[in-house]
Amino acid sequence: MARKLKQIAIYGKGGIGKSTTTSNISAALAEAGYKVMQFGADPKADSTNTLRGGEYIPSVLDLLAERRRVDAYEAIFEGFGGIYCVEAGGPQPGVGCAGRGIITAVELLKQQRVFEELNIDIVIYDVLGDVVCGGFAVPVREGIAEHVFTVSSSDFMAIYAANNLFRGIERFSNSGGALLGGIIANSINTEFQREIIDDFAARTDTPIVQYVPRSLTVTQAELSGRTTIEAAPQSAQADVYRQLAKRIADHTESKVPTPLNPQQLREWSARWADHLVAAERAEAERSREIA
Amino acid sequence: MAILALKSRPTEITPDADKSGPIELVRYVCAIGAMQSAAAIPRVVPITHCGPGCADKQYMNLAFYNGFQGSGYGGGPVVPSTNASQREVIFGGADRLRELIESSQTVLDADLFVVLTGCIPDLVGDDVGSVVRDFQKKGVPIVYAETGGFRGNNFTGHEAVTRAIIEQYLGPWDGVREQGLVNLWSLLPYQNTFWRGDLEEIKRLLESIGLKVNVLFGPDSAGLSEWRDIPRAQFNLVLSPWLGLATAKLLEERYDQPFLHLPVLPIGARQSGEFLRQVAAFAGLPAEPVEQVIVREETRYYNYIDGFTDFYSEYWWGLPARFAVIGDSAYNLALTKFLVTQLGLIPAKQIVTEDPPVEHRDSIREQFRAIDHDVSVEIDFIEDSYLIHDAIRKADFGHKPPIIFGTTWERDLVKEMKGSLIEVGFPASYEVVLSRSYVGYRGALSLLERIYSTVVSHSA
Repeated sequence: MARKLKQIAIYGKGGIGKSTTTSNISAALAEAGYKVMQFGADPKADSTNTLRGGEYIPSVLDLLAERRRVDAYEAIFEGFGGIYCVEAGGPQPGVGCAGRGIITAVELLKQQRVFEELNIDIVIYDVLGDVVCGGFAVPVREGIAEHVFTVSSSDFMAIYAANNLFRGIERFSNSGGALLGGIIANSINTEFQREIIDDFAARTDTPIVQYVPRSLTVTQAELSGRTTIEAAPQSAQADVYRQLAKRIADHTESKVPTPLNPQQLREWSARWADHLVAAERAEAERSREIA
Repeated sequence: MAILALKSRPTEITPDADKSGPIELVRYVCAIGAMQSAAAIPRVVPITHCGPGCADKQYMNLAFYNGFQGSGYGGGPVVPSTNASQREVIFGGADRLRELIESSQTVLDADLFVVLTGCIPDLVGDDVGSVVRDFQKKGVPIVYAETGGFRGNNFTGHEAVTRAIIEQYLGPWDGVREQGLVNLWSLLPYQNTFWRGDLEEIKRLLESIGLKVNVLFGPDSAGLSEWRDIPRAQFNLVLSPWLGLATAKLLEERYDQPFLHLPVLPIGARQSGEFLRQVAAFAGLPAEPVEQVIVREETRYYNYIDGFTDFYSEYWWGLPARFAVIGDSAYNLALTKFLVTQLGLIPAKQIVTEDPPVEHRDSIREQFRAIDHDVSVEIDFIEDSYLIHDAIRKADFGHKPPIIFGTTWERDLVKEMKGSLIEVGFPASYEVVLSRSYVGYRGALSLLERIYSTVVSHSA
């Protein structure tokens, strides 16, 4: 009997570490014995690079640009630990409709029953974070991913993007779409950063799945075209990702988020900004006293 | 900080006039239907950048099941199309369009190509302008108009095509004006089933008082040479309630060219005489020769009317008294004026169906309120045929069966009401129309023939 397929989507602001986090989750899951597919849903088509030694793979839409009919298997490549890597791809910047591209790529894999045939346990969609149009919301619509996780740092812009995503999820939740699994708090190294993201999580009634510290190990691994799991399996950072992957694999109950409205969000960030200024001033005074 | 817009909002916001929603039995087509406006200019070929089916649907609706007018030299099935599909949606269709324009030049003999876009490229944001400009730089006679469906209907599409040719094909101009040369902006080609015959009659009338006419569209146009001549004309004549006004204003701005706006398309002697006098006055023509023309036309006209009078007075027991018009504002206004002022019929319901831009609606209403010195008509702007038929059913036609001036969509309704139907607008699928006209002196006679042949044959 076929195993129950688990589909999750990971969203977040561009540059926040989404693909790094996703690839490490995939790698850790593969290491733990799961059959994993990572689906990059971003026209840049570089989600799976670190699963394949830093190399780019032809995207679904690259193939579709050449021929009207595409066999989905031609767009699936094996990466680290047997992870199936797929990139949706998209048009050149400034032309065409990238959103429609994502829809088409997702549909193609669904139609050709690839997940069932490959007997996949977990599919992870790595999606461009600013959900600018319907295309980028496809992974959270009915029948695709069930759980959404968002990668966010304590930067306000990243938190705004996360809050926007929550609003999207809230909308689709009425029509059978994916629900929110939680926040993956990335680049959290100081107590202060942790307080900010914790406060946002509390205000939106969202669990933090994992705190991931910024680490040079990750940068080194990335530069060598590998995930941390592959490049530094013994590192503390690799264990952080393993823990995160286990939580995601075990995750069963997601829920409808309660996003802040624009006014609430503004007030919330203003309060933190004041707090931040006060803290910095105290810090400066302390160092002057020491001097 | 106070929230202050540059313009304050009205305190009472009335619901938008153009309520969007499903429409039953359409009375206009998509903006890209203006491909037939391009095709209405002799030796001009439209190129459509749209999905499969878009262009064919416009052609079949406008030019086939509407008087069976035919496609023209470059319209209908001749029109090249990118046939945009998924690939063009995702990656953009600019390359495909470039390829199509190149091939079209090889295969088709045209004086001008007009690229029209459909919903796909306009939604995706194809830079059609840059593709077309590359060809223009190489000296290819080609222009483009963005006519995605969400921008409006074939009326606004027609204005976009006209603007495109003026802005992209006609260069700056600083020559000498030719007195007595006039550009005519009137009926929407193909949408108005009788536009060819009507433009011919209008041209004949204007020429009869000594004017030269750039009729611009249809078999009586000389084609692009007329378009190149546009800036040379003494003035622009906008002969319709609103269509063409934007074009006249554009030409005023661009070439400092004056325009005369006459909302009522003349039908019958009274209106045609008034029309000729107004145009002559604006053009600065001496009155006497114009009056002579009017006398000559009226002599012929009333000779026929004299004969008709026997029938009209004797057949009183079988003739309808109240009428309704369902149609585009141009014909609706013209017909209502003629039927009220010349035949003494009573207007029961006038419905304007082409969804005129909101800014023109008040002036259209005013025209109907001044049908005659003692007749004022309140019109409805409705596009949905269910609502239109509902309004007609509820109208008061007295105790006689009504006469409805409408379209093929009114066939069943009129049967149900046991009335008579004169198909005068899109779609007229039970009329074969070649050069027939319903305007001017001659057209009015054809109209009378059509009206009363329908009425007397009703019980046959």
